[in-house]
Amino acid sequence: MSISTQGTTLFSAILILVATTVVVQLWLLTFSMEALLRGQFKTLLPAAVASTLLLCINAGLLRYVFRFDKEVQKDL
Amino acid sequence: MSAEVEDNTQCKACTGTPRYRQDFPIDWEGDHYVSRREMVKFLTLGSFLLTVANWVTVFAKGMIRKDSSAVQPLGPAGDLARQGSMLFRYPTPQDPCIAVRTPRGNLVAYSQVCTHLSCAVVYDTAKNQLVCPCHRGVFDVDQGAPIAGPPTRPLAKVRIEQRGDQIFAIGLEV
Repeated sequence: MSISTQGTTLFSAILILVATTVVVQLWLLTFSMEALLRGQFKTLLPAAVASTLLLCINAGLLRYVFRFDKEVQKDL
Repeated sequence: MSAEVEDNTQCKACTGTPRYRQDFPIDWEGDHYVSRREMVKFLTLGSFLLTVANWVTVFAKGMIRKDSSAVQPLGPAGDLARQGSMLFRYPTPQDPCIAVRTPRGNLVAYSQVCTHLSCAVVYDTAKNQLVCPCHRGVFDVDQGAPIAGPPTRPLAKVRIEQRGDQIFAIGLEV
């Protein structure tokens, strides 16, 4: 399998993963807003921490995409 | 004159390519094309904004009013006769509420704001119901649940208790 085909498959997988985590973050935000308006403050901090972890995963995947691109350009 | 016209419609360097193609070399579809990399970047930016919004909710909790569980005296219990009602404001002076002594002798209180369009509900002594006069919404007096008319959500319940001869509001159930 050529590196270009591998990259296409890889980026599609990364894109799906990132999109899924963003949807989970969106759900966390709506949950937090409801909890905030309900006055249940205990759940707010864990939700924010979970959202930050998901951001870290997304940032890591984005960094991987950039590094992959650089390596491919070096090889060319 | 004819040479000028040719000049406007055709590129000199590349014969056969129209002039408009030189000015607008990207197709409409190509202009709207978003690569996977760009999409990942865009989603990561969205992820960052969602995280910021989540942290804002953590720090915004200080802005939510804290006095919703404050204890507030409402007056002597004798003022609230059996099957009678009393209006008060809780937890802030902007929140109208109604306390009712049911025929069974129970003491209940609710926000007076109708969950349909925010009119003030009143106690119908004859039917033992809380009624919204604006759109004929009817609420059960024991639970605050909607039983007729347009409202679909129950009234916000105010926790009250009798201490000696005094009635106190002690919290709000949202």
